[in-house]
Amino acid sequence: MSQSGGALSGVTSSPGLAPGTSARASNGDARLGTDDKKRWYSLKSSFREEQYFLVLSVFIGIFSGLAVVCFRLAIEWAGIGVLGPAPQAHDWRLLVAPPLVSLLIAVIVIHVFPLVRGSGVNQTKAALYIFNGYIPFRTAVGKFITSALAIGTGHSLGPEDPSLQIGASIASVLGRRMEFSREKLRLLAPIGAAAGLAAAFNAPISAVLFVIEEVIGRWSAGILGSVVLSAISSVVVMRWFLGSQPLFRIPPVTFVRPSELIAYAALGIAGGLAAVIFAKAIGYLRPRFRAMPRWSQYFLPATAGLIVGVIGYLGAPQVMGAGYGYMDEAMHDQFTWQFLAILAGLKILATTFSFVSGTPGGMFAPALFVGAMLGGAVHGVAHHFYPHLLGTTASYALVGMGVLFAGFLRAPMTSVFMVLEVSGNYSMIVPVIVADAIAYIISRSLQRVPIFDLLTRQDGLDLPSMEEQREESVLHVEDAMQPPPLPILSSEEPIKEVLERIQQSTASTFLVRCTPSGWTTVTRDFLKRLAGEGKGELSLSSVLPASRLPYLHPDYALEMALRYVYQVPLVPVVSRADYRKLEGVISSEAVLSRYRMTENVPGEA
Amino acid sequence: MASRFNLKLITDNPAVVLATLTIMVVVIFLLVNRLVKRFSEEQLALGRKMYAEAQAAMASGKADRGIEDFRAALSYDPDNYQYQLSLARALRDTGRTAEAEAYLLSLWEHSPQDGAVNLALGRLAARERQLDKTLQYYHNAIYGVWTSNADNDRLNAWFELVQVLLQLGAKQQAEAELISLAAELPHRPDLELRVAELFTQIPDFDHALAEYRRVLQLDRGNVTALTGAGEAAFSLGRYRTADHYLQSAAKANPRDKQAAHLLETSNMVLLADPYAPQIYGQKRLGRIRAAFEIGGERLQACAQSKGVDLKSASTTTEPQNDLQSLHQSWLDQKRRMTRGRNGWTDEMQDQIMNLVFRIEQQTAQECGPPIGANQALLILSQNPNGVER
Repeated sequence: MSQSGGALSGVTSSPGLAPGTSARASNGDARLGTDDKKRWYSLKSSFREEQYFLVLSVFIGIFSGLAVVCFRLAIEWAGIGVLGPAPQAHDWRLLVAPPLVSLLIAVIVIHVFPLVRGSGVNQTKAALYIFNGYIPFRTAVGKFITSALAIGTGHSLGPEDPSLQIGASIASVLGRRMEFSREKLRLLAPIGAAAGLAAAFNAPISAVLFVIEEVIGRWSAGILGSVVLSAISSVVVMRWFLGSQPLFRIPPVTFVRPSELIAYAALGIAGGLAAVIFAKAIGYLRPRFRAMPRWSQYFLPATAGLIVGVIGYLGAPQVMGAGYGYMDEAMHDQFTWQFLAILAGLKILATTFSFVSGTPGGMFAPALFVGAMLGGAVHGVAHHFYPHLLGTTASYALVGMGVLFAGFLRAPMTSVFMVLEVSGNYSMIVPVIVADAIAYIISRSLQRVPIFDLLTRQDGLDLPSMEEQREESVLHVEDAMQPPPLPILSSEEPIKEVLERIQQSTASTFLVRCTPSGWTTVTRDFLKRLAGEGKGELSLSSVLPASRLPYLHPDYALEMALRYVYQVPLVPVVSRADYRKLEGVISSEAVLSRYRMTENVPGEA
Repeated sequence: MASRFNLKLITDNPAVVLATLTIMVVVIFLLVNRLVKRFSEEQLALGRKMYAEAQAAMASGKADRGIEDFRAALSYDPDNYQYQLSLARALRDTGRTAEAEAYLLSLWEHSPQDGAVNLALGRLAARERQLDKTLQYYHNAIYGVWTSNADNDRLNAWFELVQVLLQLGAKQQAEAELISLAAELPHRPDLELRVAELFTQIPDFDHALAEYRRVLQLDRGNVTALTGAGEAAFSLGRYRTADHYLQSAAKANPRDKQAAHLLETSNMVLLADPYAPQIYGQKRLGRIRAAFEIGGERLQACAQSKGVDLKSASTTTEPQNDLQSLHQSWLDQKRRMTRGRNGWTDEMQDQIMNLVFRIEQQTAQECGPPIGANQALLILSQNPNGVER
């Protein structure tokens, strides 16, 4: 770690400190209040805080897993209870049930659980960055009930994002009850989020990556272990109860001919464009729906439910609900490519209306659905023109899922690992990377703001954009470093000789290389005073203080220099290979000057 | 507030916290376990219900509804082999072969040794007239794993393969399979009979006759086997054998017209055959003479039906058609026969019969298949080495 992990980092890397110099302690204990300290001192006798936190992460995972299992049962029961055991096209219940249940959902959301609208990802991010990890338990309950009703009765939404929020809420509740510090409470939200998502998706690696990529935004050693533990715990619980089979069965997938990459690239293009359409439709309609009069908010979910119901009634019940069963069927060649393309389009339409209406539910499953259908359709077209292609529908559907994940949710790393984790087949890595990269580039070019950032901005929040954070260029010490003032003095030199050497120099402060190591500074006035006192024959080392200057390396983040440049006038920047080799110096003026320069160059930093 | 207060007290001691959390986990675990158990039971029950509805729909001819119900059943019990296979079969039977194949292949990937799945895939391949795949999947089925009544299922698959190959016109492969099957077959009249019938369909009358005989060894009075053996022997030109079996068949089942007709024909062949064993001297000459007269009459009748004037042909030197030419030969032969009234040499006897055979073959070609004595002579003509002696 070369830089601070920001609000989430429990461990801050320190620059090298010369012997005798002090730096502010950077571990979590130093930031605890007096009461916290007392408590932790007692705990530490039997249990260290970090270990305790890790064990708690396991409990968060278990509780989240249990909650997600119940959530899945609730969705199934809601679906069976309202739509019957086998909803089929032209069944009147498809027309009637979604709008009626949506009315009930709207009433519950408006009057009982106003914080449960939307997917849950942004709410978790908001809890992390704004509310110090605070997510009311009421939100988890509301999300559970309303999402189960919405998804179960056919709204084109997924259970993953709500599961993520439910997990985060459970973690937050546990943390608050344990009276953890604010910093630890902040850490708990993503831990719970990873657990909830992992259980919902039955894919712990993807869940961890998504939380790091989209919620936390950067790798943070202080939290990674806990996130992994909670995710794995929740998946174990989920598999204990519901079995280890994935949400959809995946036939063996292969990638044999490199020439087939052309078809996968075409899938990347199609997926990228679909992702842009999807995101733009949501981005355009959502603020308009939200701006409608308050009374209309009661009817928006019902309207969306009616639209989804009509689509189902007229012949495409596949777009209703999360649609994992139909993804399974698509991968097993149960639909023609034309129908797959139609389903992809209808799913975008249905999900857009379901989501912008404020109905609680997630966008993971719909994105995967669209990707799978699109992948299958592209396979059908490619196979029509080039029958020699060896890839199966499942291969393309799987890559299509990754493509939408990269293009729509803008989580490229998660998209790649998700496909690998779900398929359990690494032979697909090249097509996945190619297709996902193309979709990501297209999506970024045509839709500058990622969907989750767009939603937070529409909600009037200013949460850090993970994509921007990922790509921001960090200034380093070397960017502000200046040549050292010459000459460089040696601590063994007599003061008299030193005064002669610096006679030609205009600088007032000089660096002194100490023996055996370390650096310090000395001023011209100080040396003149010593010479005036008759100490010209003494060596510098005998008159300089024993403390040494802190030093930096050229690759340190520039913000690190800010800690020292106000304590000492010149901070030496030394080589990592040889601490006696001076690369340059850095001063407060140089740092500020570099930052000012950056502000004048848009796009940099 | 009370719970918060309690937790505040216990949070000072991590051991108590962890113990409390563990107890909570255990309690919730038990509750969720009950819920999941109930959920699973309901899902299985719904699966069974949908499966029953699907079967009912299929039975009443509502294939689309049945398929949807099969899918619904599978959504509640995704690993149920029976549901999967039923859906695949329903898809195949409704002509949705691509979907059926995908489903079956998915099943096959899970259990490539499964006999029923391979059989279904074999049927699908046969439907698409893919001979190699048909053979591959049927062989997998024959040598695969069957859950119950394995021997019977394997034999049925093998029989079906032969029939499928016959339908695909792959007679060589069918014959090879049938020979292998016959070698593996347990001694059961019904199975031997099926094999014999399939040999007849190929047609491989030698093997068919052998199989019918094996049946008759086990069940002397089996009418089907008697008839089949008679027919096979008849087709092989072994009229004496045919006569033997057909007489028994006719006795056992006098209503069988086909057998009766073959018996009659066999009799006529045997009676018309001048080269039959123990036929010497005047008896043989009598048969030759009779054959010669019958052939002449057949020629006259055929020429008449075709409008060919045989009399003018004998007085002109212009080019003659086949019937006229044969008639001329017949007249010439008759003159020679009249001259050699006192005794015909063996060579002459052969010449006469050769002419008769040519007449029968030519008239059959021009005027259609003959009946009665002419049919017998034609059959004799088609067995250049002579009928069974």
